[in-house]
Amino acid sequence: MADALKDKIADVFDEPACGHNVNKTEQQRKKGCAKPLTPGAAAGGCAFDGAKIVLQPIVDVAHLVHAPLACEGNGWDNRGAASSGSERYRTGFTTDMTELDIVMGYGEKKLFRAIREVIEAEDPPAVFVYSTCVPALIGDDIDAVCKAASDTFGTPCIPVNAPGYVGSKNLGNKLAGEAMLDHVIGTVEPAFTTPYDINIVGDYNLSGELWQVKPLLDRLGIRILGSLSADARYKQVAMMHRAKVTMMVCSKALINVARKLDERYGIPFFEGSFYGISDTSQSLRQMCLILVEQGAEPELLDRCEALIAEEEAQIWAQLEPFRPRVAGRKVLLYTGGHKSWSVVAALQELGMEVIGTSVRKATEEDKGRVVDIMGDDKHMFDNMAPKDMYHLLKDAGADVLMSGGRSQFVALKAKMPWVDVNQEKHEPYAGYMGMVDLLRAIDRAVNNPMWEELRAPAPWEEPLTEGRVLPAHSGACPVTGISAGMGRPVSLVPPLPPAEVIASAAPEVSGFTSSDTDFEDC
Amino acid sequence: MPQSADKVLDHAPLFQQPEYKEMLAQKKINFECGHPDEMVKEIGDWTKSWEYREKNLAREALTVNPAKACQPLGAVFASQGYEATMPFVHGSQGCVAYYRSHLSRHFKEPSSCVSSSMTEDAAVFGGLINMVDGLANTKALYDPKMIAVSTTCMAEVIGDDLNSFIQQAKQKGSVAEDFDVPHAHTPAFVGSHVDGYDNMQKGILSHFWDKAERVEGEGLNIIPGFDGFAVGNNREIKRMLDEMGVDFTFLSDVSDVYDTPSDGEFRMYSGGTKLEEAKAALNAKATISLQEWCTPKTMEYIAGKGQETAALHYPMGIQATDEFLMKVSALTGKAIPGSLKLERGRLVDALADSQAHLHGKTYAIYGDPDFVYAMARFVMEMGGEPVHCLATNGGKKWAKQMEELLASSPFGKQGQVWAGKDLWHMRSLLDTEPVDMLIGNSYGKYLERDTGTPLIRLMFPIFDRHHYHRFPTMGYQGALNVLVKLLDTVFDKLDDDTIIPGETDYSYDLTR
Repeated sequence: MADALKDKIADVFDEPACGHNVNKTEQQRKKGCAKPLTPGAAAGGCAFDGAKIVLQPIVDVAHLVHAPLACEGNGWDNRGAASSGSERYRTGFTTDMTELDIVMGYGEKKLFRAIREVIEAEDPPAVFVYSTCVPALIGDDIDAVCKAASDTFGTPCIPVNAPGYVGSKNLGNKLAGEAMLDHVIGTVEPAFTTPYDINIVGDYNLSGELWQVKPLLDRLGIRILGSLSADARYKQVAMMHRAKVTMMVCSKALINVARKLDERYGIPFFEGSFYGISDTSQSLRQMCLILVEQGAEPELLDRCEALIAEEEAQIWAQLEPFRPRVAGRKVLLYTGGHKSWSVVAALQELGMEVIGTSVRKATEEDKGRVVDIMGDDKHMFDNMAPKDMYHLLKDAGADVLMSGGRSQFVALKAKMPWVDVNQEKHEPYAGYMGMVDLLRAIDRAVNNPMWEELRAPAPWEEPLTEGRVLPAHSGACPVTGISAGMGRPVSLVPPLPPAEVIASAAPEVSGFTSSDTDFEDC
Repeated sequence: MPQSADKVLDHAPLFQQPEYKEMLAQKKINFECGHPDEMVKEIGDWTKSWEYREKNLAREALTVNPAKACQPLGAVFASQGYEATMPFVHGSQGCVAYYRSHLSRHFKEPSSCVSSSMTEDAAVFGGLINMVDGLANTKALYDPKMIAVSTTCMAEVIGDDLNSFIQQAKQKGSVAEDFDVPHAHTPAFVGSHVDGYDNMQKGILSHFWDKAERVEGEGLNIIPGFDGFAVGNNREIKRMLDEMGVDFTFLSDVSDVYDTPSDGEFRMYSGGTKLEEAKAALNAKATISLQEWCTPKTMEYIAGKGQETAALHYPMGIQATDEFLMKVSALTGKAIPGSLKLERGRLVDALADSQAHLHGKTYAIYGDPDFVYAMARFVMEMGGEPVHCLATNGGKKWAKQMEELLASSPFGKQGQVWAGKDLWHMRSLLDTEPVDMLIGNSYGKYLERDTGTPLIRLMFPIFDRHHYHRFPTMGYQGALNVLVKLLDTVFDKLDDDTIIPGETDYSYDLTR
């Protein structure tokens, strides 16, 4: 591994704004926070994947992956990040390195030519060049190639150094953020600034979620100046240094970016969430408060309160018809990060009972909020192994599981309805109106009639109420001695398997030991 | 000239050329003397209103685009399912050409059927001579093992008596005395093709069974009913029965008739229920009809012979297939094997994987009574909501059955049953109370165009799509096929709605 990359990784691991890191001893801190992967155990995506997730929603950039075919071939356009303009980000550009490139070391030249071709063909505002395992192993210097290409073609070429083998998806998120800090942020000045300019960091506009929130900001006169990277343009990233406040949406992924924006440019940040009614309101409040502290007119606070009051009243009226269909249902949440608490609050608002929430990837603050909202920490758990989750669901501890796509099949095997709340979901749940969508999803998950068929045994396995006379034996039975010609009532179907014990009270979720493997890696 | 020998345009693009557009526009102005476009549009919009709907539903005499065919079509279909049997329709030949083209266009196979070619003199003097000559010619030309006689309206109006005609024909040496010539009166002005199916089945069975003595055995008879998916469905039902180890006989099986291989040999007859088996079917323990409304008279006749009987409504979907298997199990004493339970589990898994996309979707369903019943039932199993259930050939009893079905599930709450209504009624229903999807046959494509409701073709006849009939819709495997058809429609619509680059493609997604 190149020294520069090693230093960079050490740097992002030593994150002072990270609750985990702060609580460590000096010695632990040196080790970094890379959790060793367990060979042989199923694992999530790599650092390259993480970097791509963070940056791919920048829609007008040409994302060029320097790799053999597989990295981009399997990964292009695989998330539902929505764009209001350019669709370039959905095109997969790759150098498609082949054997000769690797053996003969043609990688850098090929990359340079690929950059030229993509600029000639697309004329993008910038080219993001992603390093991957193979070029990193053979020592291709993408920083140098990018520098040469930028000088030659006049289009910014940004190296993103997050080859897969350096670590987890989460590390890749951070490295992508670092690439933006090093090469992009601060390179373009906005035409004008206002005291109402904000950054949104850690939202990716999946299924257009940002657009459910943007109208609220528009009504308050707040401008999304910088975005990393929901529906973002290259320039929006380059101008982030001129915003007045940064809202951190996914606390773990890009905390380094938010903190460094604060350090370098004096932009304060706060963590917020647009999941759930009270969280949306709280985020708006906090955003306005900081803006006012930063010099916006204080009347913004009044307008904010008026907007919140109006929107909340409106959304409750829309949600009320759903309440009887979901109230009292028991939910198990397996998400993580800020969703551990923000979704909990939302569901409780709807009268649902949250029997447990995963706090994997959550910060100490996140955990604190869970305790605040749920009263104690009995409902918190870290990673849950699939087999434990299966048993928890199987024991009828919950009515519905809300999680990412990878737990879907655990839920189905346990005959449990399931709602997708992670990145691969197809419906936006953000903002006030997102709650209607979320509720509709829960409603159809818990109330769909096919669950009855899923849970019930095949009907012929139910106990037969009346016996039926089978044809008479043709000869004497050697075992029972029943003689020929005698009929007898015989049950047609095998008896039911022993009745499953239906747990009446929700089981204690904290009783499960945390699994080493994070099988639902977001 | 828009047309050139170097690049000959097909008619559709040709008529889009400026010369043709100009010519057609001039023709419209100078010769058609039509109403102004605005007025046409205004009236067109009016036909989508509630006001028009009420007028439409108040129609008494006129039927527009009926969703049914006539009795002889069903009779021909039933006859073709027996070994080397030539359907013979006593009446005018034009009718028979319709049945043949209907069946051929649907199954993409030749459809053998003859008529007695009655003309004016036959209508005046009676059709006896046509019957005598016709049976003899049919035997000589096509060498069938059985000729199954049904009737068109013409013969029915003049009152030809098939039984006596056939006897007289045999006496005159038209065909041998012991040659099998079952018959059924199938006037098109009564009922529909499902009744014709029923009458012919009863005609054939009574021909074989009336003079025979019943010795009760262990076998099970299956009557599939009139079914456009018979090729796939009959084979699927047989496969399931084989899995269970049941000794069964299909009474009328067109699965090989309408699916002959291309190997250089023309098969006038292929497969079908062996005549010996049809005779022996009298001794079966029980008979199951897969479609109640296709077999009321036949089942009554069979019950009268001392067999246990059961009539189902097109075993499509989980509950309906469960019901079928359990009925077979109860009648034969054979257990349902683990292999079928596995298939069931896989189907449930598929439903679970996709339920979010089907939950709460609304449907208009039309077709034969049993199909509409089964489809509505399956839709509700998936969390969908049938809104319009229409059968032109459905009666009051059917309507009552449907209402009970809809009342049995919260998903049937907004379901309305339209017995005896036609597809022009359906147009008004779709315009005033729109639904997400329309399930029917090829004729529904005009409704799809007029109302923008995506059409799913699951009902006979399907002329404009090929080979659907080769895949089952019954049983757990069939339910899976139906599920995929519904989902394809949902996803195609999602893609269509997001397909314009830079305009609607906010969610033209790779993964759905």
